[in-house]
Order: sequence, then structure tokens, then C-alpha cells
Amino acid sequence: MIEARNLTKVFRDKKRGEIRAADGVSFTCRPGQIYGLLGANGAGKTTTLRLLATILQPTDGTAKVAGFDILDEAEKVRAHVGFLSTATALYGRLTAREMVEYFGRLNGVSDSALRSRVDELFQLLDLNEYSDRRCDKLSTGNKQKVSIARTLVHDPPVMIFDEPTVGLDVMTARTIVGFIRDCRARGKTVLFSTHVMSEAEKLCDTIGIIHNGKLLREGTLAELRQQTGLTDLEDIFVQAVEAAGPVPAQ
Amino acid sequence: MKLSNVAIIYRKELVDTLRDRRSLFTSIVLPMLAFPVLLGGMIGLMVFFAQRASRDVTPVMLLGEEHAPALAARLRAVENFKIVPPADDYAARISDKKLRAAVEFPAALEENLTARPEETQTVTVYHFEGEFRSREALRAVQRAVRDYRDQVVEQRLAARGLSPDALQPFAWEKENVASAEQVTGVIAGMFLPYMVILLAFTGALYPAIDLSAGEKERGTLETILASAVSRTELVAGKFLLVFSASLLTTLLAVASLAVTLLAGAQYLGRLTGGFVVALSWKAGATVFFLIVPLAVVFSAALLAIALLARNYREAQSYTTSLSFLVILPALGSLVPGVELNARLALVPILNISLAAKDIFVDRYPWALLGLIFLSTCVYAAVALWVAVRQFHREEALFRT
Repeated sequence: MIEARNLTKVFRDKKRGEIRAADGVSFTCRPGQIYGLLGANGAGKTTTLRLLATILQPTDGTAKVAGFDILDEAEKVRAHVGFLSTATALYGRLTAREMVEYFGRLNGVSDSALRSRVDELFQLLDLNEYSDRRCDKLSTGNKQKVSIARTLVHDPPVMIFDEPTVGLDVMTARTIVGFIRDCRARGKTVLFSTHVMSEAEKLCDTIGIIHNGKLLREGTLAELRQQTGLTDLEDIFVQAVEAAGPVPAQ
Repeated sequence: MKLSNVAIIYRKELVDTLRDRRSLFTSIVLPMLAFPVLLGGMIGLMVFFAQRASRDVTPVMLLGEEHAPALAARLRAVENFKIVPPADDYAARISDKKLRAAVEFPAALEENLTARPEETQTVTVYHFEGEFRSREALRAVQRAVRDYRDQVVEQRLAARGLSPDALQPFAWEKENVASAEQVTGVIAGMFLPYMVILLAFTGALYPAIDLSAGEKERGTLETILASAVSRTELVAGKFLLVFSASLLTTLLAVASLAVTLLAGAQYLGRLTGGFVVALSWKAGATVFFLIVPLAVVFSAALLAIALLARNYREAQSYTTSLSFLVILPALGSLVPGVELNARLALVPILNISLAAKDIFVDRYPWALLGLIFLSTCVYAAVALWVAVRQFHREEALFRT
């Protein structure tokens, strides 16, 4: 379960002044549900996800992730979250197996359980052939699969994905999408960000439209259609963004 | 802080660093090869130049040879001297390095030695000041002229019925009372502290950059920040690896230097006129003991500074600036007349440089050494605190 309450993050930049990357963001994502944060580049998706994964500290507001407070129990939050983003790369000089085992150990998986867990994940993701290959020698698709294995090795109840299909070919993107669905089927709480409308439409149980750090609209696709009188998600998105006013100069 | 997590991070960083050719080269290969290559190269060059100098012909001009036939004959007999015919443009030819020296004899030099012994005759040697081969020619001329003058003096003394010993009423001799360790220590105390300090710094340099700015550039920093490990555990694991690399580099380099010196002792003795290589284990161990907290300072400071950089290259430029702050005080051991005292014992780097100079000549000012160790431990604690704090600062971690 993820419960974000008034999450705010302000960055101070010498040239651009104060930037409110997340501005009072509140939402709830329940187990067995995929919540999609839909927004353009720079809308505040990554900052919000980083706040929930305790990589960043909020300026104001808080959140509970898997029952733990992101301010007071950050390490416990991270131990119960699998976080995957375009910025979470692999250690190129480690093999695929070493990489996944390393994160398993850091997340408290015992040595006795680790080997079978990694075997199971590599079997699931069709990575056995590449397990002893250095990560910098893997294809983009296999790198992404190793990243997924890394996020799953400690079997976290909450999964956070920041634009997980960006830059991937169609086949690999399909594998990732299938994997996200599988997480929902296993009862995990899944938070997922994207700027691709079709992906949000296909995957998300609830969609939150974020713009300039603010959550503008929220609901199931049916609810959003009902609220706006529009059917196409892209039209719904554009209407919400235009109603919010022009983008402040950054 | 969970020590098991620190150990997991350390082990992973060790594997990662051992697979990084750049870090491996600077931390292990370079310190092992540097001294054999440097010393071997130096000996090789010295032998090469000595052999070439003995083979090469040195053109020398004699001006007014007819006034000093005996002295001229001595100069003609100097090995490798080629006497060229006199000419007015000797100065220009010396400047052009076509001629190494020109010797001008005053009129009736040898006649006047007997006819007017009360007058001092002056022989002039024209040469190129500072030019290596001209200086060698000048020395050879000076030796020949001095031998001839000694012969004239002996003849004059004999004519008066005096022995040449009349000019030497007593003799003197020198005897070294210092041990071989102390003699080696004077020389080692000058350059070893500088090298050891610099090695401790360079040993930490590349691993520190690789594990901070390098991770940022490769995008793995966010991966590890998203794991259950705390930032203090993360920085502790990384710091321990950088610190190990710093100590390993220093130990390997000093061991390599010792082996090189012992292996080359015979050559060195011949080249330096009987220099005996002898280093004290006690001195080495004491200096190493002082270097340990300094390696902590270097490792923590380099991690903290490199983390500020956006990428590997930027980190290199930051740390290059820092290296000047290390080199200058490390050179303290080479400055004559600067002695260790209570005030200088608090100046980081310089204190160890000066202390090592004392230690290598078997002087152990224990109170000052204790002060140096304690003050360096305090600096180490501050540097560690800054590094830990830096890994908690979002401005540093996410500066892209």
C-alpha cells in the first residue's frame, strides 16, 4: 500500500530560483492495483517516485509505503520496495548473477535462500544463458531484465517503476509490461510512471495526471471519461494540462 | 549501522575495483614498477652518458702554444682531446658548440717561470658556462694546468733544497661515525616522506573517483541508493575500499623501492662512491603508523570532493587542484633547515613529512610523534564526517 499525503519537494537553483517539482501530491495505491502517474517530461513524476522510494527527502508532507513512514523509517521502506527507473543502471563490471545477489544480500536475503531465489528469477526472465556474463556486455533488453531481477530479488510488496519501457524495443517493452501485470496478479502494490498514453490505458487501474508538480486529476479511465466527457486519454490529458494554465518558465 | 552491510559493500567494491584496469594499474602495477623503472632508467642513463663521454672527441684550441710548449704537450696528451688549429673566431665557435674550450697562454709563459719567478702568469680558459661538455673540457684543462703548476712548484722547492712535504705540515683524514642506516636515512629522509605521502594520495585517487563520480556517471548511484542499505553504511564500505587501496599502494611502492635499492646496491655503491643501502625496519614501521591516519584523511576527503563532481572528468580536475595542497607540504622534508616542533606538528602532511625526516636518521621525538598521530586522527575524523555528510546531501548526490 502507498499513501502519499501532501508530498512536496522544492529544489533551489541559483539560476532558476525555487522549483516546486512535487507540489502537495496526495494519492493512494492499494495492493493488487497498478497506479499510473501520467505526465509530460519535467512534470514531477520522477521526483514523486524518488520521494516515495526515499531516495529524496520531501520538503513537506509525508507518505506511508508498505506501512512504513518515508521520513522515520526510510530503510524499512526501501527494504519493502523494488525501485526501477531509467537512472538505476547496473554495475557493468559485475556479472548478472553477482549483481542480483549483491542486492539480495543488501536487502537482507539470507545466503541459503539467495541462490535458489536468483535461479528462480533467472528462469522466469529467461536469463540463465547470461547469468555469468558481465552486465556491460549484455543487450539493452537483457540489462532491463537483470534490473527487474534486481528489484524482485527480495520479493518486495511494493513496486515502483519510473518510465520502465523508455528506449526499449517493442519485444522487450512487452516483456516489461507483462512483468508489471504479473506483479499486480501476485497482489503487489504497483506505482508506475509514464508519458505514453497507450501504456497507461492498457496497464493502469487508476491514473493520476500530474503537471508542474501538481496532481490535476485522478481516477480510473472510466471515471476520467465521465469527469471530462471525453473518451480519448490523450484528450483528457491535454484538457487537464491546459486548464491548469501555462507552464512556468524553468 | 549494520557492519554486515558495510562488509557486503566493501566486498562488492573490491571485486569491482579489481576488474577496473585503470584503478588496478594506478593502485598495484604502477607503484610496483615505478621504482625499478626509474632507478634502472637512471643508472642506465648515467652509464650511457659516461660511455658516450669517454668515446666522444673534444675539440680544444690552444692560443699562443709557442709560449708554453711543455704545458701544451700535457694538454695534447689529454684523452679524447682533439687540438684544433688556432683561429680568431674561437669565442663564436664555443658558442656554437663546435669548440668546447680554448686555452690562451700569456707571452713567454714558460720562459718567465724561470726568468721572473716572482711574477704570477695567468692562463685563460674560454668556455661555455653551464654547457655540459664544455664544462667537462674545462675540468680536464684545469686538471692538466694544476698538474703542471704542481710540478713547477716541486722544482722550485727542490732548487731551494726543500721537500714537497714542506707545503703539508700536517695531514688530516675523515672518519664516518654514523651507522649505515643513518647515512641511508639522511638521503631517504629527504625524498622518501614526500614519495610515501604522494603515494598514499595517488593510491586513493582513482578508486575514490570511480566509486563516487564514476558511479554517478554510470547511473549506478541511484540503484544503490534505492536499496535497503543506509547512506552511512554505503559511505563506510566505499571509504574502506579507498583506504585499503591507499595503504596497499603505499606498501607495494615502499616494498618495491626497498627491493630495487637492495638489488641495485652494488651499482649505487659504485656510482656514488661507496654508498651503502641500509634501511631500518623500526623507521619504516613508525612512518607507516603515522601514514595510516593520513591515508584515512586522503580517502575520505577524496570521496567527499569527487562526489561533488558531475562526472569522472570533472572529478579529476577537482582532485588535481587538491593534489597541489598535498604536494606543497609534502615537500617539507626537502627544505633544508625546517625542523619539527610542536606548532608544525599540528600542520597536516607537513608534520609527517618532517617527522619522517627525523625518524629515518634514527631520531624519535616521541612526544611530537604522539601529537602528530593524534592531530592526524582528529583530521581523519573530520574528513570522515564530511564524507558521510556529503553522501546525505541531495545537492551532491544528484548534481548532474
